[in-house]
Amino acid sequence: MSKEISVRQICFIMLVYTAVSKFIFYPCELSFGSGRDLLFAAATDFLIQGIIIWAVSYLCSRTDKTFFELIEGTLGNITARIIYGFFALFFILCTVVPLFEQKLYVQDIFYDTVPSLTVFLPFFIFSIYAASKNFRNIGRSADICMPLFFVSMLLIFSMSLFEVEWDAFLPILKTPLKSVFGGSLTTAFRFFEPCWLLMFMGHFKYKEGDAAKITLSYAGGAAFVLTVLLIFHGVYGGAAATRQFAISKISLFFPAIDVIGRIDLISLYVLEVVMIFALVINIQLAVHCLVKCTGYDNRPVFSLIVNGLLILVIVLFNNNLSTIHKMWSNWFWIATLVFANIIPLAAWGLRRRTEQ
Amino acid sequence: MIKSKYSVLIYWAMIIAMLGLFFTNDFGLVDIHKTSVVVAVGIDTEGEEVILTAQVAVPQPSQSGDNIQYTEVQGRGLTIADCLNEINSKTGFYPKLLSCKLILLGEECKSEELFRVLGCFYRRNYSELTAQVAMCKGKASDMLSMPATISPENSTAMQRALSEELKKSANVSSVNLKDIAFSNYSVSEACYMPFIEANIQGTSAGGGNGDHVGGDKPQQGDSGGQSGQSGGSSGSSGGSSEGSGGGQSGQSGQSGGSSGSSGGGQSGGQPVEFTARKTAVFSGGKFAGILDESQSFALNLIKNDIRLAVVPCDTEDEVHYTIGLKQAGGGIKLKVNDGVPELTVSFKAKAQIQGAKKVMQPDSVKYDDSLKPEVLKAVNDEVISRLQQLISFCAENNCDVLGVKQLLHKFNYKYFEAFEKDLLTRMSVNYKVDIKSLN
Repeated sequence: MSKEISVRQICFIMLVYTAVSKFIFYPCELSFGSGRDLLFAAATDFLIQGIIIWAVSYLCSRTDKTFFELIEGTLGNITARIIYGFFALFFILCTVVPLFEQKLYVQDIFYDTVPSLTVFLPFFIFSIYAASKNFRNIGRSADICMPLFFVSMLLIFSMSLFEVEWDAFLPILKTPLKSVFGGSLTTAFRFFEPCWLLMFMGHFKYKEGDAAKITLSYAGGAAFVLTVLLIFHGVYGGAAATRQFAISKISLFFPAIDVIGRIDLISLYVLEVVMIFALVINIQLAVHCLVKCTGYDNRPVFSLIVNGLLILVIVLFNNNLSTIHKMWSNWFWIATLVFANIIPLAAWGLRRRTEQ
Repeated sequence: MIKSKYSVLIYWAMIIAMLGLFFTNDFGLVDIHKTSVVVAVGIDTEGEEVILTAQVAVPQPSQSGDNIQYTEVQGRGLTIADCLNEINSKTGFYPKLLSCKLILLGEECKSEELFRVLGCFYRRNYSELTAQVAMCKGKASDMLSMPATISPENSTAMQRALSEELKKSANVSSVNLKDIAFSNYSVSEACYMPFIEANIQGTSAGGGNGDHVGGDKPQQGDSGGQSGQSGGSSGSSGGSSEGSGGGQSGQSGQSGGSSGSSGGGQSGGQPVEFTARKTAVFSGGKFAGILDESQSFALNLIKNDIRLAVVPCDTEDEVHYTIGLKQAGGGIKLKVNDGVPELTVSFKAKAQIQGAKKVMQPDSVKYDDSLKPEVLKAVNDEVISRLQQLISFCAENNCDVLGVKQLLHKFNYKYFEAFEKDLLTRMSVNYKVDIKSLN
């Protein structure tokens, strides 16, 4: 069987998609929750997820099976289908808050007025198309996104680094630990990357050292996020908690912008392309899980269903992001803990070899 | 074959959908000629109410190149958002204030909590926090309607008085919304902003030593302001006050706010020049006082990146010199020694003579970069004196614009609780001013 996705592409996904999925509301949320110690709150989450990603990628070195086949081989076909059904639901729910954020972000950076909801809906045309494709498509998208991401981030960093007040983080760890780790907990629902790797298991050819490559790629993504957090808080200090859409706000004080206008928007528009691909990956994986769950291999149908559900959510709750966000912050970390932490680790307990 | 047939159908469906969005304006396209952009706002308070005067650029179709007109529009309410709502209804444009480059606070705002007045700009991404903030003498609405000498719209003239170049010469303490929030929401809970004054064109303050830039002050309402003398100019603050006084939501029928037709720049009256050598300071969100030119200069030496600052000084033999300070660098450090907080204010620079009140000999010019000891002493003493004045002001008014409490909090955290309340009066201050000849 030909492998659908390469390790290089998985590394790109772990680096690029991990980073861009945390550039919009995440820094503002962490500033609010953890104050100047936000880097520690973020590093805690990344460390935990990094360990799990290493565990899953190392598991890939021990078996050629997909995650579905592992469950099937140990717990039976029905259980595997049920678990994949739950994963589909998990991926859909993981998409909800980032989807709302993306909608508001687009409306904020692309428009000076108050645009209607319909300006965002064409996103679903792309989403329906992309989600009806297989893993090969996800991999190729990552190949495209990688250079776009690097160039745009380079420009954004170069426009913002000089505005950072480096001592804004002092004194270190004097914020109550409850606040620091409370920030980690309430933002934990954004850390679902181990599930991506779990889904890719068996769909790529593992070679020696790939576990380290994948884990280091994830660490690279974490480094980008931590750098954005550092710049964001270093630029805004105590006012950081009032600034949403962090990535579009950190380069605003670059002196040339005052003279020649928002040249940073060029980078932000390029980055937006990457963000759209990163947003769609959860929808693509939800469709993959539904195909496995039902055994009905017709991705376009499931893509229509999943996207239809998301359109319904975004239309019905158009102005209720704060309620949804509160619910996700308070409770969804439990689902993240189960699906992105416990299940990937429990996968080590599944039977990895087929009995002769 | 079937697949390609469907692809064409899908392709056409998408094009039709996009065209539908385009022609129904769901893409949110705006005709720039039918809208207006807020470039500056002035904020005044009156009792419980806030009066917002927006200087609005109205793009005009023109082939001559002069295609923007400026006008003032006023809104009134209990919050800035109320005022913006009223301005929105008058201008036909949702004011997100993305193009607003100047926020001018009237002198009456002294009695208000600063972030009660400015708070709206930090909420919900109304503005990008890049707008410069300044306080002005008198009413902001009057100031915005005064005709300026160096620019057709006076907000630009004011921005010139707050320019980055002036900041680098220690002549103005320019700040933007972000800077104010950054320092106010620190443990120092203090911030500052330039204090703008208008002077009648072509006048200058007499008796100054070169440090007191200014001139004759225009009478309020005498300079083409909103006093009603300027023909069809914007609604005056006086006129506004005669409105209802109770307008809350910015409904024009209630509020008495009115829009003007022609901008202050075209409204007649005596042209003015703007200066911003003084600095308004706030502590705990409340107005704490105004730093004079010397204190502001000292503040700028410490806070800003200075390229070339000019200091007047007198030597012991009473010769007046104007000294240029280059390669300047200042800062403060705080240490706690034997339970006593010690603040070290340091400043280093290279000096050269820019002017002297004596007859110039051509062969003496080559020694301008090599100052005599008595001149160096005079300039050192002058800088120390200004720094002392600034520190005294901070201690007397318990206003930590220098960020001394932040230093204690960041680098001497274990003493923070002990010294937090009376640090400014308790600390001893050392001045390390080292000004040398450029050559």
